[in-house]
Amino acid sequence: MKTIGLWRRGRLACVLAAGIALTLVGGCGGSPTAGGPKAGGSDGPTAAEKVYAEIAGLSGKQRRDKLVELAEKEGKLDLYTSMTSDVADAVTGEFSDKFGIDVNVYRAGSETVLQRILQEQGANFRGNDVVETNANELFALNKEHFLAEYKGERRDLVPEAGRFEGWTATRFNLFAPSWNTKLVPAEQQPKTWEDLADPKWDGKLSMELADYDWYLTLYGYWKKQSKSDEEIDRLFAAMAQGAKIAKGHTVQGELLSAGQFSVVASNYSYIVERAKKKGAPVDYLPFVQPVIARPNGVGLMKTAQHPAAAMLFADWLLEEGQKLLVDEGLTPAIVEDNDPLKGVEIVPVDVKTLVEHGDEWSKRYEKVVSNGEQVKDK
Amino acid sequence: MTTTASPALPATKPEIRRVRRWWPTPKLLIIVAVVGVIGYLALVPLYYLLWGTFFDANGFSLGGFARAYGDGRIGGLVANSLWFAIGAAVLALFVGTSLAYLNVRTDVPFKALFFAASIIPLIIPGILYTIAWIFLASPDIGLLNKVIEPIFGHGIVLDVFTVWGMIWVEGLHLSPIVFLLMVAAFRAMDPSLEESALMSGATRLQVFRRITVPLTRPAIIAAVLIMTVRSLESFEVPALLGLQNGIYVFTSRIYFVLRTYPPDLGAAGALAVGLLVLAMIGVAISNLAGRSGKSFQTVTGKGFRPRPMELGRWRPVMGAAILAYFFFTVVGPLLVLLYTSFLKFYQPPSAAAFKSMSLDNYRQLLHLSQAMTALKNSVYLGLGSATLVMAAMAIGAWIVVRSRIPGRQLVDQLAFVPLVIPGLVLGLALSFVYLRSPIPIYGTLFILLIAYCTRYMPYGMRYAVTSMQQISAELEESAQVSGASWWQTFRRVLLPLLSPGLLAGWIYILVVSFRELSSSILLYSPGNEVLSILIFEQYENGQFTVLSALGVVMVLTLVVLVTVAYKLGAKVGLKQD
Repeated sequence: MKTIGLWRRGRLACVLAAGIALTLVGGCGGSPTAGGPKAGGSDGPTAAEKVYAEIAGLSGKQRRDKLVELAEKEGKLDLYTSMTSDVADAVTGEFSDKFGIDVNVYRAGSETVLQRILQEQGANFRGNDVVETNANELFALNKEHFLAEYKGERRDLVPEAGRFEGWTATRFNLFAPSWNTKLVPAEQQPKTWEDLADPKWDGKLSMELADYDWYLTLYGYWKKQSKSDEEIDRLFAAMAQGAKIAKGHTVQGELLSAGQFSVVASNYSYIVERAKKKGAPVDYLPFVQPVIARPNGVGLMKTAQHPAAAMLFADWLLEEGQKLLVDEGLTPAIVEDNDPLKGVEIVPVDVKTLVEHGDEWSKRYEKVVSNGEQVKDK
Repeated sequence: MTTTASPALPATKPEIRRVRRWWPTPKLLIIVAVVGVIGYLALVPLYYLLWGTFFDANGFSLGGFARAYGDGRIGGLVANSLWFAIGAAVLALFVGTSLAYLNVRTDVPFKALFFAASIIPLIIPGILYTIAWIFLASPDIGLLNKVIEPIFGHGIVLDVFTVWGMIWVEGLHLSPIVFLLMVAAFRAMDPSLEESALMSGATRLQVFRRITVPLTRPAIIAAVLIMTVRSLESFEVPALLGLQNGIYVFTSRIYFVLRTYPPDLGAAGALAVGLLVLAMIGVAISNLAGRSGKSFQTVTGKGFRPRPMELGRWRPVMGAAILAYFFFTVVGPLLVLLYTSFLKFYQPPSAAAFKSMSLDNYRQLLHLSQAMTALKNSVYLGLGSATLVMAAMAIGAWIVVRSRIPGRQLVDQLAFVPLVIPGLVLGLALSFVYLRSPIPIYGTLFILLIAYCTRYMPYGMRYAVTSMQQISAELEESAQVSGASWWQTFRRVLLPLLSPGLLAGWIYILVVSFRELSSSILLYSPGNEVLSILIFEQYENGQFTVLSALGVVMVLTLVVLVTVAYKLGAKVGLKQD
C-alpha cells in the first residue's frame, strides 16, 4: 500500500516532464532540421530591398551622402562575419569612427555564421543586416534567397571572378605552398605545384585535412593543362604519400614556424606573411604559380533592419576598406594601382562546383589525405 | 528489508495522509520541478537530434546510418577509437585514483602543491595542452627528446604522434575528472575498515585492492563511464596527434559530416545515437552495480572521522613519485606555455630566443577589446551553471538512488543524454527552440546558461549519484523518525554529507565551463562574449603566443578560484583530523 501513492506521484512526474518538453518543442511543428521556410519568396520586395533599389541608381558623392544621411537615422549596424577578430576590430572600428554608427559584430567560423543565419531566418528573426564571410557560405545563403541584389560602381570594379549573384568579393585568401627557411635550403623550395609530389618531401610535407576547395581547383586547373585523371590522381597520391596531415591552417602555420614540417602544401599566404613579419623562419615567396584564390565577400540581407547602414558598409568596404584590408596583410578584391600580385597567375576557386558538388569532392579529398590511396570512382 | 539491501526509504504515514488531501507537499513540488527540468533540458536536444537522424525532407529515413557507418574503413576506425578511448580511460583512472588516494587517505608530502596542480590539465584548453605536448614530445622538435637523447642515444625517441601518445595526452587531460570523483569518494570512506584489515595482517596493497577499491566501486564505474564516452567523442587530440600519421578515429567522421553544407545532421546523429546506446548501457550497468547493496554505504550512523593513513617509510618514495609525475605532466606543458607566452613566435629554446623575450603578449591581452566583459561573463556563467546543476542534481540523485518512484532510472538516463550530443547540435537545437519561444531568451546570456546547464548535467549527475550511493539510508531514517520533514532531512542531513561530491562536481563544472566553445560560438551575441570565444579568436588569428599568455592567465585565475572553493569546502561536511 505504501508504494501506491509514490507510484502515482512518480508517474505524474514523468508524464509532466515529458509533457512539458514535448509541448514546448513539438508545438513548433515539423522537423526542426528540414530547413526553414524560404524568406523573401514571392511576397515582393522587402522594405530593405526597396532601399537598396532606390540607392542603386545613385553614384559618387550623391550616393554616399544619401546613404550617410539614412544610415545616421538608423544609427547602428548588425554585422555577422568570419573575419579574424583583429581584422574585424580594425574594420568596424574605422567604420564607426568615420560615420558615427555603432557596429554590433557577431564573429565566428564561416560554417557557424551560416548556421546562425539559417536558424534565424528560418524563425523570421532579423538578426543581421549584412554578412561578410567565405564564398561557400555566401553561395549557400544566396541559394536560400536570403541575400539582396547589390548594385553600384564599386561592385563593378571587382574583377568578374568576384562578382556573384547576391554577393560581392571583398578580399581573396591565397592558397600557396610555404616552407621553413631553416629546413629548406635556399633555392631548394618547391617551385611548381607538381614539385610537392617529389619523394624528397616524404615525411616533411604537411597537408590540411579540409582543403578540398584547393584540391578541386588545382584538379580542375591541371585538367585544363590537359593532364589526364590518372596523372592528376597520381600527383595528389604522391603528395599525400608520407604527408603529415594537420587540422587547421593556423596550427599548420605555427608548426611550420616551429620546424615540425618543412613544407606546407596549401596554407593561406596571409598566415605565413604574419609569422614572417614577426621574424619566424618561414616564406611563401616567390609564389608557386598559379596561386589559388578563394574569394570572401559581402552580402546584404533582404530582411535588414538597417539597410542603408548595410549598403554604406558594403560601399565603404569596397572603397576605403580595401586599403585597410591591405594594411592587415590581406589581398583586396579591387586593385587600382600598384598591384602586389602583378604578373602572378591567379586561379579563382571554382565556387560553383564547390557548392554544387562539394560533398563529392570533400569525400575524394578525404580519401586522398587519409592514406594516399588512388581515387578511382569518378 | 535490510537483507534485500534496498536503499530506498519507506514512505512515512503522515506523507500519505497529506497526499490524500491532494495538496502537493513541498517534496512533491521539488521532485516534479527537478524531474521536469532534467527532462526538459535533455529532451529538447535529443528530440532535435533524433528528428535530424531519422527524418529528412522526404520523411523517415535510415540514410544517416548508411552514410555514417557505411564506410569501408569503419571497422578500423572503431578499433582505433576503442583502443584510444579505453587506453585513455584506464590511464586517467589509474592516475586520478592514485592521486586522490594519496591526497585524501595518506600523509603524503606536498599536498598543497599537488591538489591545485592536479586540476591544471583540466584548465588548460585542449588545443593548447595538445600543442604543448607536440613541442615536448615530437620526434622532430620535441624538447624532451632533446633532453633524453644524450642519455639514451638515438634509438629511443618519445613520439607523441602514435596511439600511445594520444592515450597519454588524453588520459592526462581527463585524469582530473577521476581525481575529483575519487577525492569525494575517499573523503566519505570510513578508514576503520582499512585499519581492521591492516591489523589482521593484510599488506597495504591487499588493503587497497580488497577493501578500498571495492568500497569506491560506484565512483570508479562512474569515472570509467564518463571517460570512455568523453574520449570516444574527443576530437582535439585525435585531430592534432593522430592524423599526422594517418590514425583516424570515429569522431573524425562526425567532423567530416558536420563541416559540409548543409551539415549532415542525419549522419552526425547516427554516430551520436551509437554513442548514446553505449552510454545508456553504461548507466544501466552502473546503477545495477550501485544498487547491489549496502556494500558501498560507508557513511553510516556510526560516527567516524576520516583520518589519513601513515605511509611510514614509503612517504619519501611517494613524495618523489609525485614530484616526478608533476614535472612531466603539469610543469612540463605549463612551462612550455609560459615560455611561449614570452616569445614572438614559437622556436626551440636558444640564446636568441631568450633574448627576444618580452611581455608583449600579456600587454596585447590587456588591450583586447572584450577581455573584461568576456571574463566577467565566463565567471557568471561558470558560477551560475555549476551551482544550478549541482543543486538540481543533488535532488535528482536522491530520486535515482533513494526514492522508489517508478521510472526513476529514466531520470538518470535522461540526465546522461547530453553527454553524447555534439555541441553544435545542442547549439542548433537551442537556437531553434528559443528563436520561436515567446520568452525573449535568444540573444541574451541566459541561452548560454541553459546550454551550459544542459552540457554539464551528466557530470553533475554522476558526481551526485556517486556520493549518494555511499551514504547509508539509516541516517535519513533516523532523522525522519526524530520528526524531521523530508526537506529538513535533505537540507540538514544529506546535503552536508553529500558536500564533498557536490563540491567536486561544482569545481569540475566551473572549470570546464570556461572552455565550452562548440555551443557558445553559435549562441553568443555581441556583448555576451565569453572567454572561450576569445581563445578561439586568438587561435584563429594565429596568435599562438598570445593564446599561451591567455592560457597562463586562465590557469592562474582558476587555480585561485578552486583553491578558495576547497578552503571553504573543507569547512563543511566531513571533517578531517
